[in-house]
Amino acid sequence: MSIIYMHQVSKYFGQEKALDGLDVEIGSGEIYGFLGPSGAGKTTTIHLLTGQMPITDGEAEVFGKPALQMKRRENLQRIGIMTEASGLYQRLTVQENLALFAKLYGVKQPKKRIDEVLELTGMQGDHKKLASKLSKGMTQRVLFARAVLHEPELLFLDEPTAALDPASSSRIHRGLKEMRERGTTIFLTTHDMQEAETLCDRVAFLDDGRVQLSDKPKLLRQAYADGTISVELKDGSAYSLQQTKDDAAKLADWIGSGRVAEVKTNLPTLGDIFIQTTGRELV
Amino acid sequence: MNFSIVRTYSIAAKDMKELSKNMFVLTTAVMPFLFALMFGRQDDIPLVVHYLVINLTFASVTCFVQTALIAEEKEKKTLRSLMLSPATSTEILTGKSAVAAALTAATLVICMQITGYVPEGVYVYAGLAISLVFYLMVGLLLGLLARTLVEASVLILPVIFILGMGGLFIEFFQQYDIAAWLEYLPNFQLEYIAAAVGRGGGLADVSGYLLVITGWTVAAAVLTVAVYRKRTFIEE
Repeated sequence: MSIIYMHQVSKYFGQEKALDGLDVEIGSGEIYGFLGPSGAGKTTTIHLLTGQMPITDGEAEVFGKPALQMKRRENLQRIGIMTEASGLYQRLTVQENLALFAKLYGVKQPKKRIDEVLELTGMQGDHKKLASKLSKGMTQRVLFARAVLHEPELLFLDEPTAALDPASSSRIHRGLKEMRERGTTIFLTTHDMQEAETLCDRVAFLDDGRVQLSDKPKLLRQAYADGTISVELKDGSAYSLQQTKDDAAKLADWIGSGRVAEVKTNLPTLGDIFIQTTGRELV
Repeated sequence: MNFSIVRTYSIAAKDMKELSKNMFVLTTAVMPFLFALMFGRQDDIPLVVHYLVINLTFASVTCFVQTALIAEEKEKKTLRSLMLSPATSTEILTGKSAVAAALTAATLVICMQITGYVPEGVYVYAGLAISLVFYLMVGLLLGLLARTLVEASVLILPVIFILGMGGLFIEFFQQYDIAAWLEYLPNFQLEYIAAAVGRGGGLADVSGYLLVITGWTVAAAVLTVAVYRKRTFIEE
């Protein structure tokens, strides 16, 4: 069964079209990356799927129910959300912030669970710090910890690692992988192609309110590869070979004479494919 | 699902903790004490002064604390997180109102100790109770309308001057036609209830005043609920 199903979803803000016939289907336990530049409609999609906004046209379902019903308590219990509009209580400590939400979500054994999410995000030594004293990276990690505190079945993350230091990003990535291992479905928006490639089972390129392309990152890269192979020899010279009989013979000769230092297929990055597909950069 | 005491209490306890460290709000909430100390030294304190302190408590403690709690949640982006948690609107609003109500009760008791005023009769208590709900609603409404704590502190000024300190200015306004309309404000109606009860009046003498305050409260509640419901959606 699909966890998220969107069919021909459109969203207008007045006369302005934000989403234009969006088709998305996400299965259980997937990490689905929604990639696109600022203003492409990524955050709007999260707002629609979490019931914070009505759709203008089409069908949007989460757990087989209309997305607008996600605002109901029993449904909110099943999802975790971390968006740009998430904040911490600045005069409370990390522990107090998490303890409040543990109570609101009715988390069983809250102390144990808080310790687990602090460990997951590498914040265990900072639980007594006031939220106002946290760096941007630490704040994001605590927000992530709060979003997964109640072990949601579905997690919405809107640019979770935007402008973060590598250490904080890596912590969040580790946390996401652990959540996937537990069977959590993750809907992730990002414009970081490296992040998408490392984490996502499938990605979709969103541009002008439409999904322009969607597939597994590796398959996309293979599909858009130009078929050339780069070869670097031990003497420092480099060659680009085509997949032809002549070039295959040349490569075999280099290998046979022990001259090859490195061979790799030239796969485009997801960023290259995005530009090729949409004619725009991911900024 | 049912109303959860645990969730409501958690929200109230969190607000109390945050508020205890918020000097900006606390210094505004201290205003009724200053007035009580200033006027409480007189030998014979007129009713209008007692109700100046009481109405100021409602405006600067009940209303402002409520406004500040909500506005700060919006400013720090925590209100949406609360709204997206399983806590219902009723639990969130009750939890927040409990804090403002508790602080109001404590302030009123202390100020009345200072000024030596003891409310008499069930109608005065009824008036005080309905007024408390009215100011809680106005506080919520202003909090929902304000985007930041600073904006909230500006929005609260008319409430403090007109509803909190109206008693000080009423004589000035009496030379204008507007005075007749101002007397229908809940702060004056509350004072009229106390005056009527003081003269030995019964239900027939105070029911009109009680109805006016109730009318204000219902109007404020309807408006607040409408705005809150609108705010549960992202503004488009």
